Amino acid sequence: MTAVRQALLILLAALIPASLTAAFHPRRPAWSQEALAPGEETLPTILNWGDNLFWVDARSAEDYAAEHVPGAILLNLEDWDRLFPKFLDRWSPGQRVVVYCSASTCELSRDVAERLRKNGISPVFVLKGGWEAWKSKR
Amino acid sequence: MRFPAWPRLVEVSRLLMRIVLGALFLLGGAAKAYDPGTFATEIQRYNLIPWLPGAIAAVYLPWLEILAGLLLILRRFERGALLLITCLLVVFTFALASATFRGLGIDCGCFGKAFAATGTIFPLIRNVLLLAFTACLWFGRQ
Repeated sequence: MTAVRQALLILLAALIPASLTAAFHPRRPAWSQEALAPGEETLPTILNWGDNLFWVDARSAEDYAAEHVPGAILLNLEDWDRLFPKFLDRWSPGQRVVVYCSASTCELSRDVAERLRKNGISPVFVLKGGWEAWKSKR
Repeated sequence: MRFPAWPRLVEVSRLLMRIVLGALFLLGGAAKAYDPGTFATEIQRYNLIPWLPGAIAAVYLPWLEILAGLLLILRRFERGALLLITCLLVVFTFALASATFRGLGIDCGCFGKAFAATGTIFPLIRNVLLLAFTACLWFGRQ
C-alpha cells in the first residue's frame, strides 16, 4: 500500500475519536466562542504564566490610586512622557507586560500596549475584560 | 574500507529516531486530547486561522498525532504515519516560525499545558531537528 493511501486511512480513522471528542469531551472547545483580539489574553491564561509578569494600569491616575492590580504601575497616554521612564526603570527585559484598563469596552489598554510595542517593549499583552475581569475573578 | 558495524549503527539510529518521533507525537497528541478547549485557544494565539477552523483542528489534530505516533512506533502503516508526521511537522514549523517572526511572544502549545512558557524559538529548533529525523527515515529506507 502506498504511503498516501496509508495516510488517508489514518486520516479517516482519526475522525472517529475526534467526533466523539467533539460530541462528549467535557473540555471540548466552544464552536462559536468570541475570538480574542490579537495580543489579547484572558485572566486565567495570564495567571498560568506564573510570576514573571509586569502589570501596567492604563486607566486614569484617580482610578489607579483608588485600586489596582498588586504590583501594577500606572502608565497612560495622558501622562506618557512622565510615566514611561518610570516604566523603563522597573521593567526587566524578558518580563511579559500585561496592560489593562477598566473593562472590555475600553480602548486605553490597546493604545498603551501598541505604544509600548512601538517603543520596542516585547512581549506586551492586553488583559481581556480589564479591571472588571480582575475584580470578578479575584 | 568499510566499518563493519556501520549498517548496525545506522539501523539502531533509525530505530531511535522512529521511536523519538513517534513518542513525541503520541505524548503531544495525548496532552492536547486531554484538554482540546485549551488547545483551541493556543491555536488562536497564532492568529493564522479563524476560531472555528481552529476549534475543529483542536479536536481532530491530537487524535491524528496519537494515531500517527503510535503507528510509527509499532511499524504498522509506517510510511503513511511517517508521511503524516512529516506534513504535520512542516505545518507546525511554519506556524512557529511565523509566530517568532511576528514577535507574538506566545507559547508553542505543542504539549498542551505540560510544558508551558517554552516560547517559540526552542520548539522551532526542535521541530527542525525532528524534520531532519523524518528526512533520515525517508531517505534511509530499505
